[in-house]
Amino acid sequence: MAQPSPNAAPAGSAAAHRQPVYALVGNPNCGKSTLFNALTGLKQKVGNYPGVTVEKKMGTTYSQHGQPITVIDLPGAYSLAARSPDEAVTRDVLLGRRADTPPPDRILCIVDATNLERNLYLVHQILDLGRPVILVLNMMDLAAQAGLNLRVGRLEKSLGIPVIACEAVNGNGLVELRLAMSRADLPLARHAWDVPAPIAPAVSELAASLRENDGKLPLSARAEALLLLTDQDSVRVAGSAALSPRTAEILFAWQKRWEGEGMDWAGALVGSRYEAIGELASEVVLQTGAFGPTASDRIDAVVTHAVWGWLVLGVVMTALFLCIFTLAQPPMEWIGDHTALLANWVKSSMPAGDLRDLITDGALGGVGSVVTFLPQILILFFFIGLLESTGYMARAAFIMDRLMSRVGLNGKSFIPLLSSYACAIPGIMATRTIEDAKDRLVTILVAPLMSCSARLPVYLLMIAALLPNDRVSLGTKVGIMLLMYALGTVGAFGFAWLFKRTLLKGAPPLMIMELPPYRLPRIKDVCLHMVERAWIFLRRAGTVILGISIVLWFLTAYPKAPAGATPTAQLAQSFAGRAGHLLEPAIKPLGFDWQIGIGLITSFAAREVFVSTMGVVFNAETHDENTTPLRDALKAARWPDGRMLFTPLVCLTLMVFYVFAMQCMSTLAVVRRETNGWKWPAFQTLYMTGTAWILSFVVYQAGRALGF
Amino acid sequence: MKPHPATTAVPLCQLRPGTSGRVCVLQGDDDFCQRVREMGFGESTLVTKVSGNTTILCQVNGTRIALSHGAAQNILVAEIAGSH
Repeated sequence: MAQPSPNAAPAGSAAAHRQPVYALVGNPNCGKSTLFNALTGLKQKVGNYPGVTVEKKMGTTYSQHGQPITVIDLPGAYSLAARSPDEAVTRDVLLGRRADTPPPDRILCIVDATNLERNLYLVHQILDLGRPVILVLNMMDLAAQAGLNLRVGRLEKSLGIPVIACEAVNGNGLVELRLAMSRADLPLARHAWDVPAPIAPAVSELAASLRENDGKLPLSARAEALLLLTDQDSVRVAGSAALSPRTAEILFAWQKRWEGEGMDWAGALVGSRYEAIGELASEVVLQTGAFGPTASDRIDAVVTHAVWGWLVLGVVMTALFLCIFTLAQPPMEWIGDHTALLANWVKSSMPAGDLRDLITDGALGGVGSVVTFLPQILILFFFIGLLESTGYMARAAFIMDRLMSRVGLNGKSFIPLLSSYACAIPGIMATRTIEDAKDRLVTILVAPLMSCSARLPVYLLMIAALLPNDRVSLGTKVGIMLLMYALGTVGAFGFAWLFKRTLLKGAPPLMIMELPPYRLPRIKDVCLHMVERAWIFLRRAGTVILGISIVLWFLTAYPKAPAGATPTAQLAQSFAGRAGHLLEPAIKPLGFDWQIGIGLITSFAAREVFVSTMGVVFNAETHDENTTPLRDALKAARWPDGRMLFTPLVCLTLMVFYVFAMQCMSTLAVVRRETNGWKWPAFQTLYMTGTAWILSFVVYQAGRALGF
Repeated sequence: MKPHPATTAVPLCQLRPGTSGRVCVLQGDDDFCQRVREMGFGESTLVTKVSGNTTILCQVNGTRIALSHGAAQNILVAEIAGSH
């Protein structure tokens, strides 16, 4: 049964040759990312841990002698007893449970010096792991401002490990840290901590069994045993192995016994750790000044105020959307123009044929349509990075918590939903900080209802067709646009409310969130963050969209029409065209014909594909991306009986359909990965597209009845 | 450790802004209690309520912590007289 744990690999030969691996751990908001960036600069590799959407960041730094050192930046955690997928990854990497990540040789623990006691809790657990640890006291400047005098030497002596005072933001202490990291040998911690007497025998029995039956290293077996007693292992992530039956049996027997005695073993362990930490902190931390209201407190008095808080949030959100929709316009046009130029160049330099069409219409057309949204994504992530690094994001979540709790979610769902206005993919990725599995799932399920930027081209085209004469004021157009955004938002909240009451019933959300002190943003870190996110977006969306674009191109290009047929005729008798005909009975009650049906099918890959498909269907001869001729072509479109196809009512119905319909393969792919299966993406498609159909039906039929 | 016999414990959400209290009882499921303790919010911790009565803001050990209403209801504190 005993599986050789990755831990058990011979530490000698292999480890001597490979680069030393440091894991960087700490509480959220303790400056971990800043330190990681300061150490590794641009030498970072960002990816994902297989099986979970938790970001895996690795970087290289150099020792004092120029030897490369690998640094793994682990997600922020309050405890090794994990409560979210994020924290589970931190736990599993530190314990060497993940086959995809090298077990760290040494651990860099970073703590916020202004809040030593709380931060030392995680350190205390990590010292149990039996690996060399370097303790970094970050934000020493803020601690001094708060009137705290930290006796670093005393802490070093008590723990028996190197302790480095540091201000990662301005680089102070980095030289000393690098020196410590370069040391060939680091002492193990002098870690005196008495496990409460009733629990001690259980710890040794479990540790013995973990060594014998689970192949754990002698040094970390005790830590694993302690963890078993505090961590119900509620968060299992892919890659961690189950307990051996013998160990599970011992654990169960002890738990049963303690339950009988009415003892809270987990609480007792936390309590005794805090007692030990409290003693240590009282020796190390000297309160020299008095606590007065800090600058953060004064800002918070306004920003978290019951009235002013909403006002500030409103201004910030308005600024964000203004930037996304105005600043992004020129670069988006630039990208669109250059994709078209590239396609033209391919067209002129390659002989006509299917391969050429595959490259220009399939690959370039599809991928180009996604890359066009890059500027908006960059601006969104720059803003989010800025809000996070200043500390405002946590305040926004705090303000929104009251509203979110009305629908059964908590403030932490606000950030994913906000990101989804740009694109549901980063939004869904941002749900990983939500501890509660049900809250997380509900947020994932409703996030794609927030109108993403891919819906924008559809809205724009439909508004152009809806209000044919240019005399209609800009205000009306913007008003309709805002109405669509509001509809999506109301829909998202409505469905969250519904899901929390029916499908994913859960206790009222319990949010505990630390609000970090306000800081001036570090533009370098924000930009780094933005580039990383944009790269992930490009890679993910690019690969998925590329594949689907090629498939869609095939469906529109085959079977071949007789030679000399117009592109429109070709499309009409292609697989996609036939599917459009097949679909027509289902969408006729919404006022859509088979040609719109083709658009609905092709835009299942990504919503904005609808616009280019309409271009091919109605305006194929000119191949002009400009919407003005397309708008005129739409106006000219007729049903076989001569009725106008794109009446204002149909345009409105189409917009409503796009607000709700699940028309995005990339999102489905991300949801599948996030929820480990096809069940939830399938459900999501059904409920969203079902709602879209029903609401479109209501809008169209009601509109008809009212004489529109 | 023990709450003063003269004071009665009230949920944190009912503490008046600006007043301090000591955590005396944690209610709710094991997971919640564990996390609250691990975040340095365990029994006998000194808490100062900053603002709010639904979602509340408080100060614990020099850190600002936001708690949703449900969470704040599960944390019973004994008000420290004269802390206002």
